[in-house]
Amino acid sequence: MTCSSTRSPFSQVETPAVGVSIEKLSKDFGRLKVLKEVTFAVEPGEIFVLMGPSGSGKSVLLKHIVGLELPTSGRVTVDGKDAAAEETREQVRMALVFQSGALFNSLSVYDNLALYPREHRVANEAGIREKVMHALQILSLEGTARKSPSELSGGMKKRVAIARALVMEPQLMLYDEPTSELDPVMSATISEIIATVKEDYHVTTIVVSHERELAFGIADRVGILMGGALISLGPAAELRSPQDPRVAEFLNPKIDLQHPRFKNLET
Amino acid sequence: MNNLQQTTRVGLFFILGIALIWVTFQTLSGGKIFREKGYSLIAGFESLKELKKGDEVRMAGVVIGAVEETRLAGRRAEAVLRIHPEVQIKNDATATIVMAGLIGTNYIGIDLGTPGAPALRDGAEIRTKATPDLTAIMTQMGVLGKKLEGALGSISTAVTGDGKTPGLFQKLDKLVSDNGENVNATVANIRQVSDKLNKGEGTLGKLLNDPKLHDDLVATVNEIKGTAAEAKTFVANAQAIVDQVKAGKGTLGALVYDDTTGNDIKASVKNIRDISDKITRGEGTLGKLINDDSTLRDAQAIMKKADRALDGLDDTGPITAVGVVARGLF
Amino acid sequence: MKQITAILDGFGSTWLLLVRSLSYAGTLPRQYRRFFEQCYLIGYTTLPIVAILSFFIGSVLALQAGYSMQNFGTQQFIGSLVGLSMARELGPVMVAILLAGRVGSAITAELASMKVYQEIDALVTMNIPPARMLVLPRLAATLVMVPVLAIIADLVGWFGGAIVAKYTAMISIEPEAYFAVLRRYTHFKDVLNGLIKAELFGFVVVLVCCNIGLNTRGGPREIGASVTRAVVVSLILILVLDYFVTQVLMPLQ
Repeated sequence: MTCSSTRSPFSQVETPAVGVSIEKLSKDFGRLKVLKEVTFAVEPGEIFVLMGPSGSGKSVLLKHIVGLELPTSGRVTVDGKDAAAEETREQVRMALVFQSGALFNSLSVYDNLALYPREHRVANEAGIREKVMHALQILSLEGTARKSPSELSGGMKKRVAIARALVMEPQLMLYDEPTSELDPVMSATISEIIATVKEDYHVTTIVVSHERELAFGIADRVGILMGGALISLGPAAELRSPQDPRVAEFLNPKIDLQHPRFKNLET
Repeated sequence: MNNLQQTTRVGLFFILGIALIWVTFQTLSGGKIFREKGYSLIAGFESLKELKKGDEVRMAGVVIGAVEETRLAGRRAEAVLRIHPEVQIKNDATATIVMAGLIGTNYIGIDLGTPGAPALRDGAEIRTKATPDLTAIMTQMGVLGKKLEGALGSISTAVTGDGKTPGLFQKLDKLVSDNGENVNATVANIRQVSDKLNKGEGTLGKLLNDPKLHDDLVATVNEIKGTAAEAKTFVANAQAIVDQVKAGKGTLGALVYDDTTGNDIKASVKNIRDISDKITRGEGTLGKLINDDSTLRDAQAIMKKADRALDGLDDTGPITAVGVVARGLF
Repeated sequence: MKQITAILDGFGSTWLLLVRSLSYAGTLPRQYRRFFEQCYLIGYTTLPIVAILSFFIGSVLALQAGYSMQNFGTQQFIGSLVGLSMARELGPVMVAILLAGRVGSAITAELASMKVYQEIDALVTMNIPPARMLVLPRLAATLVMVPVLAIIADLVGWFGGAIVAKYTAMISIEPEAYFAVLRRYTHFKDVLNGLIKAELFGFVVVLVCCNIGLNTRGGPREIGASVTRAVVVSLILILVLDYFVTQVLMPLQ
């Protein structure tokens, strides 16, 4: 994929995409070592997909990038600034699309989207309305503006969450399991949306997922996290013929009823 | 509910709260809001005692106003009374500070005055009368009690002696017992004489001229004289007798036939009898004290009250026990 | 040891939340909608239960006082007892307890669920501090509304006492006499004392409930646990603070 320089329809000035660098990041929850000296970098404007089995620490890693978790050791920088510092969030616009959507249940869809521009006073009410309706339109959500998040289906909630992220005009988009709990068609739709958003906004995108189709479909590079350590890092194409047996097992699990895996799991 | 309605309700609610706080403030801080109502009178007293701002003003027991202000004016204390407008107070009505209860509440009582007298106007001064307050009564009661005690003590000393000098009764007792033999002999002799007289033995002349008998009588009289001399400082009447005896009328005849002496003795005896009768009947203070139970109980009750009052008396001043408790609570 | 750390942690995070919220005080004017919404929830909707409860507290106070005072024949002083007790102690404490039970628990439940469902995290990533958007309007609304609730509690409690004093055979004090005594012995400084207490308790309750809600970790089950903890901590703090605040305010009379 090529890096287009399409101007964001929201802002008057070009907002440059930012790079993310993770250096020897370790995180302990008590005695549990969730991340073990993870090191990689995400280039500005690329789509990086972080894969791994459940409980491998993907979401925790993502939270370190937006500063919701603080590293036990190591360092995470966004655009060269420490992600753990609060000022970074003021200098770099980052949007995290949560697995659950994390929509504000007390607010309507419209107010959910309008919250960020209102709080940061980016425009007057008319300007905000224009931005919000534009974001809803991109994701074909115009009809839901007056609805409450509780009235929406799972796929719609995720799209609203993406729309809410778009209204922020982010320099860095982070998706946490955007296709989980969705049917295959909806998963494909979400993947298309992620790619389109990246094309249109030229935003650095990091997607945490265990969805193989998504990774092969839209990723520039893929990292695989297993047991808190990064075991594979490279272009998506490389993963079609993986060398590491663990990666092969993860990407192409064979259902073997004669020797079920759960009976051989290490305890 | 839309936002405007909500905001309006919150606003109204807030204003209501502020208004309530304001009303409470005004009501509890002397009720200045109600200042316009009624007219004021000035009552001057030597001391307002425990009267304070907000205390009631009553006429014949009915609340007709309140004490608006208390202040010092020169050599006296003044209370400004706020009287309900529909109540008229005659210019010869008298205001007194009345105690409403034992626990230190006072009010100003105003009597009705005479029907035809003109009414007092706003700002006029009302006649006042000082009344002793409970504290003063208690103090007087205490002084009275002390005096009573002293009086009783001296009476008791005079009657029974104080250990060093013998008392009246002791002296009389001694007089009788020391001369018992002689008196008995005298009495026996007299009986003998009277027997003889009855029997017609001898004559009065014989009686008088019997030397032995005469000697006995003289001896008796002498003995009596000695004892009486001892008693003289205590019994005035006895002194008089002894004086007369000393004055040379050294015979029984003189003693018996001297009218003045005899009358004196009679009068004395009668007085003593009267006193003792009165005492027994319960007349007079001492008699009452001794005979009348109710008086005693009254005295006891008063003492107890005073005692309790004193127990409750704190540094805070002359307030009563219950008053102390009530204040202590808050 | 773990519990001690947890308690210290609670104190620390509460203070931090307070400082953070107050540092955003300048943003209050443009949050007026949220402020009014919270005023409505904290003040207006709490009024009925405050009125009902304070009425009966005043009534039962008069009843009990009448029962014990008849031994001394001092029933006519019920007004002062009810007046002072309501104004200085029961009014503010009751308002604070109701606030903890009704408003505090709701705040904790709301914030805890926002936390559990990652709405708080979303706010943080949107660079909208929860202290500014969620805590500050609630604290401000509490400061404005609690005195109103407290004065209503005082007055309604006094009236409750007056009614009981009139219609209870063993007391039988006319309302005029009751209020005359109440007014003579209850001063505005007593009421003010109570309002200050209520203000402080209300503020602490809301702050603590916000903090416990925001610090909820784990799944939906933790929401319930947080609410329970918030109410328990609030009640303990109210009664402990009550003692010390009363001590501090006494010499200021």
